[in-house]
Amino acid sequence: MAIAGVYQSGQVSRKRVLPGVPEFVVQSSKGSLVTAALPILMTVVVLLVPVIAPHSPLVPAGPAFVPPGHGGFLLGTDSVGRDELSRVLYGMRTSWFSALAVIASGLVIGITVGAVAAVAGGWVDALLMRITDVFLSLPGPVLAIAVVSALGPGLVHTLIGVGIVWWPFYARIVRGEIRALAARPHLEAAKMSGVGPIRRTVRHLLPGALPALVVTASLDIGNLVLTLAGLSFLGLGAPAPAPELGAMSARNLTFLLQDYWTAVAPGVGILVLALVGNMAGDGLRNLMKDR
Amino acid sequence: MMDQMRLIRQRQSGSRKTTSERGMAIPGSPDTLVAAVHALKVTFERAGTRIFALRGVDLEIAPSEIVALVGESGSGKSVLGLSLLGLLGHNSKPEIEGEIEVVGAQIGSLSEPQLRRLRRESLGAVFQDPMTSLNPTMRIGKQLAEVAGSAEACIDLLRSVGIPDPARRLSAYPFELSGGLRQRVMIAMALAGSPKLIVADEPTTALDVTVQAQILELIRSVRDRFGTSLLLITHDLGVAATVADRVVVMYGGRVVETGRAESLLREPKHPYTRALLRSRATLDASGPRRLTMLRGEGVDSRSEEPGCSFAPRCELAFDGCAVTPELEIAGDHRVACWRAESAPGPEADPLVHAPPVVAVSKGLSSVRINDVAVSFKVGRGGSQGTLKALRGVTLDIEPGGALAIVGESGSGKSTLLRAIAGLAPVASGGVDISGAGKVQMVFQDAGASLTPWMSVEELLEERLIACGVRDRKERHRRILEACDSVGLYQQLLPAKAGQLSGGQRQRAALARAVVVAPEVLLCDEPTSALDVSLAAIVLNLIADLRERLGMTLLFVTHDLAVARVVADHVAVMYLGEIVEVGTTEQILNDPRHPYTKSLIAAVPESGHLPVPLKGEPASPLSIPSGCSFHPRCPSARSSCGETSQILKVSPLSRGHFIRCEPVVEELTWR
Repeated sequence: MAIAGVYQSGQVSRKRVLPGVPEFVVQSSKGSLVTAALPILMTVVVLLVPVIAPHSPLVPAGPAFVPPGHGGFLLGTDSVGRDELSRVLYGMRTSWFSALAVIASGLVIGITVGAVAAVAGGWVDALLMRITDVFLSLPGPVLAIAVVSALGPGLVHTLIGVGIVWWPFYARIVRGEIRALAARPHLEAAKMSGVGPIRRTVRHLLPGALPALVVTASLDIGNLVLTLAGLSFLGLGAPAPAPELGAMSARNLTFLLQDYWTAVAPGVGILVLALVGNMAGDGLRNLMKDR
Repeated sequence: MMDQMRLIRQRQSGSRKTTSERGMAIPGSPDTLVAAVHALKVTFERAGTRIFALRGVDLEIAPSEIVALVGESGSGKSVLGLSLLGLLGHNSKPEIEGEIEVVGAQIGSLSEPQLRRLRRESLGAVFQDPMTSLNPTMRIGKQLAEVAGSAEACIDLLRSVGIPDPARRLSAYPFELSGGLRQRVMIAMALAGSPKLIVADEPTTALDVTVQAQILELIRSVRDRFGTSLLLITHDLGVAATVADRVVVMYGGRVVETGRAESLLREPKHPYTRALLRSRATLDASGPRRLTMLRGEGVDSRSEEPGCSFAPRCELAFDGCAVTPELEIAGDHRVACWRAESAPGPEADPLVHAPPVVAVSKGLSSVRINDVAVSFKVGRGGSQGTLKALRGVTLDIEPGGALAIVGESGSGKSTLLRAIAGLAPVASGGVDISGAGKVQMVFQDAGASLTPWMSVEELLEERLIACGVRDRKERHRRILEACDSVGLYQQLLPAKAGQLSGGQRQRAALARAVVVAPEVLLCDEPTSALDVSLAAIVLNLIADLRERLGMTLLFVTHDLAVARVVADHVAVMYLGEIVEVGTTEQILNDPRHPYTKSLIAAVPESGHLPVPLKGEPASPLSIPSGCSFHPRCPSARSSCGETSQILKVSPLSRGHFIRCEPVVEELTWR
């Protein structure tokens, strides 16, 4: 062989990499790892709500206004005698999935718009980014109110209203990251390899934009939970009997002084969700920073 | 007590040796040494592993002596330089054993304020990249004044390092100066307070050859005028040979050989020094050739085993190498090797001089570049300008040929390559490659050219898919074949760029380029970021691949010696134009254009002092009228600034083109 006499060590560098586990996970601190995994835990919990919840959230299970801890009702009952714990759990389930749905739709739109703008460049880029600016300037809650008043009340309509304004940030992040990556030699090398533009974007550019995107998106969960709860507090969520945290605390606000738990428990539910979202975001950011 | 006595005796004998080695009688005892390092061991801890940076080093520097510290990355040369400055970081928490005595003070016993005072009064430092060592937000004058005091002193300093118009430069920011001028400013700062010792860590590595020659000349003149001692840390034996009185070769945290520059480079005793000299691409060799390769890649600074660090890569290694050899007197210098005496001389070495590369002509493809121009718009609004990177380049490369494109930074050599690759927007003219789409490129930074989140296998497979190889088994077979041909272990296929060493990355990049054999291989300084021994391996690999696959090779380099090794033709570029092109022999042995002559004269080689070319290339934003080289040309006439030159064939030999009317005229009449 022509290169006989060339020796080199056949080992990958000494970093131990577990199969299938991203390298940054192995190197990072345990605390960050746990907090970053919280959303997964939360998703599992809310999926199991129909199993965990002791009663139906809609059908009265006992007398009205049973205080917490009495009569087998951990968080008491509300004005019609429905189990407060079950209602809060179902409410959390709705809020959590609503937040995830908006983020997912935001990511899909944002990644598409951002990637197309960054890769196409020129007037396409200019046009898409100006459209992005327009949506960035729309206040989400106000637009949601407009959509709901146009289409009629309902959770889906609220989500559409919020979803419309929730992608511009992601589009900007994706565009910025891709434009920075596009100047790197690895993209030119891919071009020289004959890799087509779509595969170049998907395999050689997008993965580099993901870390920043994932961190922002996870930090947005808490944000979104609060926004949605605020809208449902204003009556822009699922209509009356449905267990919704914002709507519950709004309706039960009148009982705050005597039967405080009916208003406070949904609030605590919101707090827990927002906290999980923010902690996860911070944890992920630390993980990415370590990388 | 006994130990101490022995220690003292050793030191005295050592220093006496160095004085006689230098061949100049400097009156004095060990006390007058500017720096004396004894049995220095430095160990760092990084991510739980102990890194043995220095494993027992002795070093002495006499007054007004230039000592060159030569070694590859991982040899510990920079750590030694930093320890002389008392700059071994606090954050890396080094364990230090041994003595460091600088200008009569024990570095280890000094407090931080005392250290600062020592540095201010007796020490100077020059680092590789002046852009990062100078404060970008401060004017030169203000930064200099921090160490020099008055403005007058600053002007004096700038003048003494050869900066033209020093008074005006005081108000300049670092980014307004060229690389060479910035390095001069750094040297001026190091000179402030007339230090006894200046530690210069790779001061010319980031500079062009012509500017490097200027700086090396300055370093010598600084020593001659101010009597300053200099520790010059470099990876380049050529640089060491041209300026140093004494050369200290380091490997794996130990000194392996030391002696007077000329004798050490003429008769190297240590197998490592010898290998280093042989694996270096030099100008004086004839024709394309293979370089001698060192086994393996670099030093394992984590190894705790005693013995010679070089033994794993040494062809003379035997069982006795497990005992660490001490520096012993051998001939007229000192060497740490058990087999130094038995080692054959450099001539008698079983040198693997592979036969010269023959251009394989298959008549399949050639590259025809026709009057290609590339320009970029830079700046906005009022300061907008056009950067003319290429100003009409015409070249015809025959199938299987190997052309080296050389020039200083800003000459447009990389732009030319990128224009051929289709990566740069060609404004006018055309590139014609028969067998289009069969062009592959190897980039300067192999690591950055590999997508960080994709494995080597994925990258190779992608190339095969793009070339229409459908069958999975066929793809796998060809991937393994490519690995084999570039010497990349198959176990590394699932690895990503971040997990590969420098050499493995360059191999992976090469594997991707040749997994589907290209007709034309473009190489953009693939070795300029590599250590000497690694560069030799990569250069040989490229030559092998070229021979086997019959590729046409275009190789951009700033290093004329590398051009000599890889190419049969050389094109010299200056400010976006080819100023001279011909066979390697014609260009390197019989250069005609004044610029080529100056480039060759500026290369540091043992045996002659580099002759620096004055000034630095003009900005491609404002190219001089007439012949663009005339402001720097040593033989410029008054008419050179008016008439622009065209590339004309030399009357003496066909195929040799020169863009200089006076030279062609002179040759015609001779």
